[in-house]
Amino acid sequence: MWLHVRLSEVCLFLQAMFILACCFSDMESGPIATSGSVQPNGDRFKIEGRAIVPGVKTQDWISSARVTVEGEEYIGFLRTDGSFVVNDVPSGSYVVEVISPGYKFEAVRVDITSKGKMRARLVNFIKTSEVIRQPYPLQLRSSGPHTYFMKRETWGWTDFLMNPMVMMMVLPLLIIVLLPKVVNTNDPEMRKEMEQSMNMLNPNPELPDVSEFMTKLFSGSKSSSSKAIGGSKCQNITCTSGLRNYCNWSCHGNYNAIFKKSFFIRLYNCFLSRVFFPLSNNPRVCTTLVLCQF
Amino acid sequence: MKPPAKMSKPTSLFVIFFSLFVMSEAVFEDQVGKFDWRQQYVGKTLFAHFDSHSQSSKKLFLATDKNIFASFNSRTGELFWRHVDKAGPEGTIDILLLHGQDALMVVGGGRLLRSWDTNMGGLNWEAVLDTGSFQAACFVAMQDTVKHVAVLKKAAISLHYLTNGHQKWVENLPDSDTVQYQAVYSGGEEEVYVLGVVPNSHLTIIAYSLEDGEIIKQRSVEAPWLSSVESSCVVVGHGVLMCVDTATLALYALPIQAEEAPQFNQILLQVTPVQPRLEVSPGFQPVLVSSQPHPARSPISEFFLQLGPDHHVLLQLNADGYTIAPLRDFQPAFLVSFSTTGEKTVAAVMTPKNETSDVFPPQLYVHAFLKKDDSVGYRVLVQTQDHALTFIQQPGRVVWTREEALADVVTMEMVDLPLTGTQAELEGEFGKKADGLFPMVLKRLSSQVILLQAWLAHLWKLFYEARKPHGQVKNEVTIETLSRDEFNLQKMMVMVTASGKLFGIDSKSGSILWKHYLENVQPNAVFKLIVQRTTAHFPHPPQCTLLIKDKDTGLASLHVFNPIFGRKSHIAPPALPRPILQSLLLPVIDQDYAKVLLLVDDQYKVTAFPSTKNVLQQLQEMASSIFFYLIRSDQGNLSGFRLRKDLSTERIWEVVLPTEVQKIVAVNGKRPNEHVHSQGRVMGDRSVLYKYLNPNLLAVVTESTDAHPERAFVGVFLVDGVTGRIIHEAVQRKARGPVHFVHSENWVVYEYWNTKSRRNEFSVLELFEGTELYNSTVFSSLDRPHLPQVLQQTYIFPSPITTMEATLTEKGITSRHLLVGLPSGAILSLPKMFLDPRRPEVVTEHSREENLIPYAPEMPIRTEWFINYNQTVARVKGIYTAPSGLESTCLVVAYGLDIYQTRVYPSKQFDVLKDDYDYVLISSVLFALFFATMISKRLAQVKLLNRAWR
Repeated sequence: MWLHVRLSEVCLFLQAMFILACCFSDMESGPIATSGSVQPNGDRFKIEGRAIVPGVKTQDWISSARVTVEGEEYIGFLRTDGSFVVNDVPSGSYVVEVISPGYKFEAVRVDITSKGKMRARLVNFIKTSEVIRQPYPLQLRSSGPHTYFMKRETWGWTDFLMNPMVMMMVLPLLIIVLLPKVVNTNDPEMRKEMEQSMNMLNPNPELPDVSEFMTKLFSGSKSSSSKAIGGSKCQNITCTSGLRNYCNWSCHGNYNAIFKKSFFIRLYNCFLSRVFFPLSNNPRVCTTLVLCQF
Repeated sequence: MKPPAKMSKPTSLFVIFFSLFVMSEAVFEDQVGKFDWRQQYVGKTLFAHFDSHSQSSKKLFLATDKNIFASFNSRTGELFWRHVDKAGPEGTIDILLLHGQDALMVVGGGRLLRSWDTNMGGLNWEAVLDTGSFQAACFVAMQDTVKHVAVLKKAAISLHYLTNGHQKWVENLPDSDTVQYQAVYSGGEEEVYVLGVVPNSHLTIIAYSLEDGEIIKQRSVEAPWLSSVESSCVVVGHGVLMCVDTATLALYALPIQAEEAPQFNQILLQVTPVQPRLEVSPGFQPVLVSSQPHPARSPISEFFLQLGPDHHVLLQLNADGYTIAPLRDFQPAFLVSFSTTGEKTVAAVMTPKNETSDVFPPQLYVHAFLKKDDSVGYRVLVQTQDHALTFIQQPGRVVWTREEALADVVTMEMVDLPLTGTQAELEGEFGKKADGLFPMVLKRLSSQVILLQAWLAHLWKLFYEARKPHGQVKNEVTIETLSRDEFNLQKMMVMVTASGKLFGIDSKSGSILWKHYLENVQPNAVFKLIVQRTTAHFPHPPQCTLLIKDKDTGLASLHVFNPIFGRKSHIAPPALPRPILQSLLLPVIDQDYAKVLLLVDDQYKVTAFPSTKNVLQQLQEMASSIFFYLIRSDQGNLSGFRLRKDLSTERIWEVVLPTEVQKIVAVNGKRPNEHVHSQGRVMGDRSVLYKYLNPNLLAVVTESTDAHPERAFVGVFLVDGVTGRIIHEAVQRKARGPVHFVHSENWVVYEYWNTKSRRNEFSVLELFEGTELYNSTVFSSLDRPHLPQVLQQTYIFPSPITTMEATLTEKGITSRHLLVGLPSGAILSLPKMFLDPRRPEVVTEHSREENLIPYAPEMPIRTEWFINYNQTVARVKGIYTAPSGLESTCLVVAYGLDIYQTRVYPSKQFDVLKDDYDYVLISSVLFALFFATMISKRLAQVKLLNRAWR
């Protein structure tokens, strides 16, 4: 054991001993092809254009802006009226950009033939040969200031209250709390009336539930699992959502009665469960929730 | 198998949510200037002009060796605006002339003529000049108004209109193959004079007509003693050419406008009636200084004659134009200058106060102005040898100083600040050995008391400062008050500049705490800064070593200093008589906790520093496990060496990349202070893909010698530095440099130019051991039989880049970002997640769970990812990253022309509360809940009571 530890220590040391140090030999990388070399024959052209920032005076932005051609290969400066000329550019294809720390400009690709014919087109790095013509001399219009900053998440009461989640939670809660107060369940007359209305809605327990029927309609053969368990007091309730998620649950004993209170409440229950578990397909989760609520 | 897949859906959604959250790393608007700062520089001044357009103007115009034309506020030394031209000879500023609101510039060795509107900072016009190297330029006036500028080239002279840059005329100079035309002069008459010289033979004067460029007269004057008009002649008074001859120690005067065949008038210096006698210092070339206040008028008749490095004489040309009268002798005097306002001219003379002044000022600019009471006021701008620019006002008060050496930072390091006395005491409690229970308790208590004391003092200070008006609270940072902060976020930035001046800058405020000018540093020297001992070894002071190497000879010298105070250490560095090839810092420490620096010379002999007995003994013991590599890019040779016990070396491997085909451009290992937290990556199917973490891996980048777009290529070789084994080889066809690359952890990211599609591309190489580790405890280059699996992916990057670096954190838990310097001056923080060769083309369940972004060919550039928002860093040359005491935070310094310091949080601030943390909300919610429980408890009691009554 000791030996093993020692060995690994030695190995670690060995590894640490090897130091990769930067070398001092001449390593400055530079482009091989110095395309900036001056051609004696003078076949040099100029790229002309004009940059505009709508609604801003030129003197407010030109002193910090410049025109770059293919990175920093060639550089031009903006005149006091916003126009620019980049001189001494040999023929080729270049990406021309107006760089300003304040305002954003679209880059443009400029092609110069060996005879000096110019063409401007949109920059497309993926389809490099695609040509969507742009006006030449270039007309570069700023699309506004740069967005450098993220917005802070602010917190306000209205944000909180108008949140759909909160709305869905608060409204049903109100109904649950308020409904028993409005409708006095202790009154035997009222109870009777309610039961009547229940029967009106669901006159025959043998007949399929409306919602069940809907489920079958929408989900076809898949909803076969949601059939009623005959003979017992339990009943399967299927909630349809119209989406791929649906949940079934069975309710027992007294809860049945409460569920039967009204068709409306039943629907909202299903809704509630869907809100809480938007992606859950597990029926047990649904049931637990409902039981908790009542 | 189905249920788990179903269950994974919410988790994957969550992960995607999280990743979006992470990717949205950016600066908030209220964070501006909170922990970041920028300093803008322009470089060494070549030409300077004061704006004399209006009396109250505070503008100052500079043209510098970094091809920058800038306007400063002369009251504060801040930049109004700055125009950065292309670096290199194509953008060099040959001359800067100022007339009214227009500044005229000849750029790129006579390539372009530019006129700037100095008020707005915009261009008036730009004119292309004919080819030919630039010689001189001057304004040409006609009837007291300046309308033209004359540009003299090697073989032609041209006249341009000031209003639009159009060429009025251009004339070829006669006999330009024999005569060297060097000066152009206009005194407000109808003619422009061009002065040329045939060395040691004669002087040629040609007068051109202003109107059409016709040669009015052409004269030739015998001057066998004259070799250059530029260096030894000036125009003085009413068109008198004054030349100085070193050999005979005589002044020669010649009226330029003379009608008949003119002759030089010799005035021997020795016989002039001057007391004391004028004598030229041995070996010194005398220099004449004159002044032409306005181009429409002739120069003033007073002029300076410099006789030695610190000896000037003020002379006056008499009205006859042949004799001179000495006015005053200045000795010692380093620099002289003239300045004119209205009718008054001021001669400024700079004399040294103490002889030991080591920063000799090479340039002096004086601006004189008339005060309200008609007396002459002046402002002076002095440029010293160490590139410091100082602005001095009337009673000799220094208004501001700019350290322009910082425009060319070569290398830098960040050093931890030392602990304060209190902190050191507290730390010491844990460091010392236990000496009994009771003393330990006492010590504990005393340290607690110290802490309490410090806290109370802090509270008192806060209270005291709160009563003061807001402006006064600003507390100055000085070296004495420097101490490490809680999270080690404040550090000392040690910056080495190309001029040989070292700076210590406080990373929090950006103030320069110390500077040290190294004299006798060659302009082509290369530097390497090594931190040998950090501040962690109290009472030993921290120690940095700067290796300065002459690029041509390879001879090197060491400068050892304390990085906190900038003082030179008393430790004598070893003498290095032979050229140094390689330097390496070993983790071996001597008895004073300094790491050992090994220097390899051209005979492959090794010098150790420090080389105490202890160190040498340690080196002997471990010699067999010390390896290093050498690169000979001119021979295409990469070789590995091992140290022998006698400090000689043996070559153990060699890789030759034939120079006819490709050349080695760069070699990079990994950073020694880098930590990798996770050994592998968990994949979608719950297996682990282990990273290939070879600490000895070198990334070698080559470029083809063939520059043809079809045949050019870029090669990347991954070589093991110990064994010389080539681990991987990647060749990018139809590609050329410049290649920028980062080598870290188990990946290499490189960027190149695709010659076929004319775009920049990023490529990432990632190395994995596979799903099983060969030896999980330790990595040894000598015992790794399997080559790693290499994955590669390439992306389009829609912008060229100038430099690239990866973020670095203390423990390597935080996700990595790449910091990319763009030519626009922005620093892009690009999540490494985007450069992952496992990005899938088709999204699958596994890839989604693994949080892989689907492959997209084009890399996004979002302005929200610019860590320096609008604080652009012109010509970014390097980005330095350093870990802080917080795992989430990485300190970043971008340097180039400017210096920008900031902090980045690649995975957001997960270990500290965010600065927008809502204390009010959380406390109000807590209080509300507390009261709600109290109230509901009371209500419940009432209800229970009521029920009990029922």
